[in-house]
Amino acid sequence: MNSSFERIAQYIKTHCQADDYSLRIFHADSHETRFAQNRVTQHLAGPKLRVNLSVAFDNKTGSASVNQDDPEALARLIQSAEAIARLNQPDPEYIFSAPQAQLPEVQNADPATRDLDPARMVQIVQSMIMKAKAMDATVSGMTEKHFSEWALITKGGFEGYDASTEFGHSMTLKKEEVETKVSYEAKSFAGFEPDAEFETLKAQAASLASKQVMEPEKIAVILRPGALMELLWFMGWMMNRRQSDEGFTPFTDQMGKLFFGENFNLYSTLKRTDIKASPFNSEGIPSREIAWVEKGVINAMPTNRYWAQKQGLEPCDFYNFYIPGGDASEEEMMKLVPRGLIINRFWYIRTVDAKAGELTGMTRDGVLYFEDGKIRHAVNNLRFNEIPHVATRRVLAMGPNRLASSGMSLPSILFDNFNFVDKTNF
Amino acid sequence: MRYLDLAIGEALNLGAEYADIRIQRTTDEVVLLRNLSLKNTSRDVLHGYGIRVFKDGAWGFAHHHVFTEEAVLATTRRAYEIAALSASVNQNHKLRLAPERSYLASYKTPLKIDPFEVPLSEKVELMMEVNRVMLGYEGIRQAMFYLISHKDEKLFASTLGTRLELNTQWIDPMVIASAVHAGDSQSRTFDEGGRATGWEWVTELNLQEKARQIAEEALIKVKADTLGPEERRSLILDPNHLGLTMHESVGHPTELDRVLGWEADYAGISFATPEKLKNYRYGSEIVNFVGDNTLDQGLATLGFDDDGVPGQKWHIIKDGILNEYGSTRDTALEIGLEHSRGCNRATYYFDQPINRIPNLYMLPGTQPLTPSQLIADTEDGVYIQGRGSFSIDQHRVNFQFGGDFFWEIKNGKLARPLKKVIYKSCNPEFWNSCDAICDERWWRPFGVVNCGKGQPSQTARMTHGSAPARFRNIRVGGSQ
Repeated sequence: MNSSFERIAQYIKTHCQADDYSLRIFHADSHETRFAQNRVTQHLAGPKLRVNLSVAFDNKTGSASVNQDDPEALARLIQSAEAIARLNQPDPEYIFSAPQAQLPEVQNADPATRDLDPARMVQIVQSMIMKAKAMDATVSGMTEKHFSEWALITKGGFEGYDASTEFGHSMTLKKEEVETKVSYEAKSFAGFEPDAEFETLKAQAASLASKQVMEPEKIAVILRPGALMELLWFMGWMMNRRQSDEGFTPFTDQMGKLFFGENFNLYSTLKRTDIKASPFNSEGIPSREIAWVEKGVINAMPTNRYWAQKQGLEPCDFYNFYIPGGDASEEEMMKLVPRGLIINRFWYIRTVDAKAGELTGMTRDGVLYFEDGKIRHAVNNLRFNEIPHVATRRVLAMGPNRLASSGMSLPSILFDNFNFVDKTNF
Repeated sequence: MRYLDLAIGEALNLGAEYADIRIQRTTDEVVLLRNLSLKNTSRDVLHGYGIRVFKDGAWGFAHHHVFTEEAVLATTRRAYEIAALSASVNQNHKLRLAPERSYLASYKTPLKIDPFEVPLSEKVELMMEVNRVMLGYEGIRQAMFYLISHKDEKLFASTLGTRLELNTQWIDPMVIASAVHAGDSQSRTFDEGGRATGWEWVTELNLQEKARQIAEEALIKVKADTLGPEERRSLILDPNHLGLTMHESVGHPTELDRVLGWEADYAGISFATPEKLKNYRYGSEIVNFVGDNTLDQGLATLGFDDDGVPGQKWHIIKDGILNEYGSTRDTALEIGLEHSRGCNRATYYFDQPINRIPNLYMLPGTQPLTPSQLIADTEDGVYIQGRGSFSIDQHRVNFQFGGDFFWEIKNGKLARPLKKVIYKSCNPEFWNSCDAICDERWWRPFGVVNCGKGQPSQTARMTHGSAPARFRNIRVGGSQ
């Protein structure tokens, strides 16, 4: 823990009079260069601090946050949280703060990424714009780096600290009617190759040059990791143990049962060093190896400390997503079905029916139609209404894993009969 | 004020063409009650300043939360250095700022009872009572009450000589009843999306009565039929529902930054491109949309935007024709506008302001028409109340919406309640299919306090409004 965090923690330990407290400290420093239509439109930088204190007197709770760390601000913080708790009504679901815990060793921060020179980031942007201009196209996107640290200290004895870095670069190329995007997000800048990213972008754009109108239908799809990631966010959000036990999600009464496709597995893992893994969550639940879904059977769902205690379960939470893939290339996948689509990315996914787990959303940034094992042409964007866990029962093949974001390692997956219901005009 | 002068003086010394500083303290009080358990009772304060420097056709923005002369000067220098870096890219393609005069002004949200002065115990007691009302119904498994009170205290200064003091606030009570029955779960929500007013609004709402209504409707909904296969039908949409439809399909496509492609990589662009101004039929002749950042109790009624431009009122769609956009000082000149419409807003002190939807509403019909008359005049359709699922493509053309409560209309009468209804449409088909709007007696405002946009992501607020309206020949059906 850094000395500034230790000083804040010491002040709270010394001055907080509550029966219980949880102190969360978050600090970040970011630099973000946003570009659009071949010029920089936004460019920002600065530090952020948040000091949050949750307290309890008996089972009456209160919480407050400030973003200054001088003694006056911390005194106000304590006074505010304690005043709320004293005035509050008892919370029947209050439990004492997290106890001391053994936390896993993780390495989420890369000093070189933290120290990356903003001038270098602008140089990357400049170079991408030059390349786009050279092909009479425009490019829009963002280059960003973040260094963040956070700590949780509780009256119950929990002390945890984690530092992490992140480098991101995304860009959308537009040339005439073609729009397509690539994005890179990792805890380290080291693996980022801007020229290679642009070549991928250029190749994607070239593949989309010839487009035909396609009507919506149920059809096989290869979801690239960027598209799969978007579905997973929403499906993961529904995988909540308490909400499921109380009857609000599709996973009600499905624990321990085969509910996903038999070749579908979903993990959070500390073993893969390429994916970020926070060692604990905001409640003080330590991260551990978890098979959420294994061979299609639901083994666990995120469970908070209260519900775990009430139901006699082990509390747990998502801290990253890992779906182990296979070895099928896109070319091989295309040969497994007579015809289908390759989806680069989804957009604006929303829940249609929370109990059924049904989602809607649009394709974005390039849809390719293939037939007889070969890409034939691009098609217009389509709308889907689909239930992701049901779709996993129609998985036909998986490709190798790729980093979809700093916290997700996912494969491309070939699904049969993906349910498209509408189309748009581009 | 010394920090304002310090930053502006330093920016001018460094050679800024334009600079501003926004000192902002944001306070949120949140109470979340679920089944009589207080999941969150908090008061959060974010206090800091953001400094923008414009130099050689480019922006630099830096922020900090430490209030010392040294930190303010260093942050100003950082903003200047960032602007210089940006300018090195924009050499042949510079941004330009629309002209604006200077102002010495202040603005304060009008309210009678400051929600921050109402004792927490009074709020929690009300929330508990509302929770108990809902849980008193057999079959209601989850009763939620989410109450947020928000205020922004801003001091703004710019190199134009503008000095502003802006104190704005809003409050948003949201109540949800969720029922479980025969393997299904359905919710009904009371949520007017927030209003820029005081606690007096919450007491006027009679939330205990609203709780009874939504609990009963949640139980009706969970046992209701589904609509079946998609067919072309008439839709009658209530103002709360239309607030979200217009937000997505009119508000976002008419933000000038999207029109210019500045959101191409993330939030998307717009089909409503500049060559369509003054000639494109966006909606039927009865469709009129007004941008109005002077609207009483409007969430985007802030006095001035974060460019220091005053709130204005203008037609975005006039008699069905695309008329104008919501613009900012750095977007207006791109299409030859003479000045900004004052739509540049940031969420917190650490956010660089971006082009935002103003308060945007549809004018009521000019002929006397009640919702009952509108239903009586509809043979086969669906009446949708409240907000549900919403999704739209990144050009803002194709969309699919759900709702919160549904009635099938047969032969001019509400025939049966329904659940899981969705409709699909697109621009400009949807707004051109509008053939009737109830009159001004039925016009209602509804707020949005969580409009996500930008990288890094920001959430903005604005108010929408309309009277109930009818749309013909829309694809309406049940979900899977």
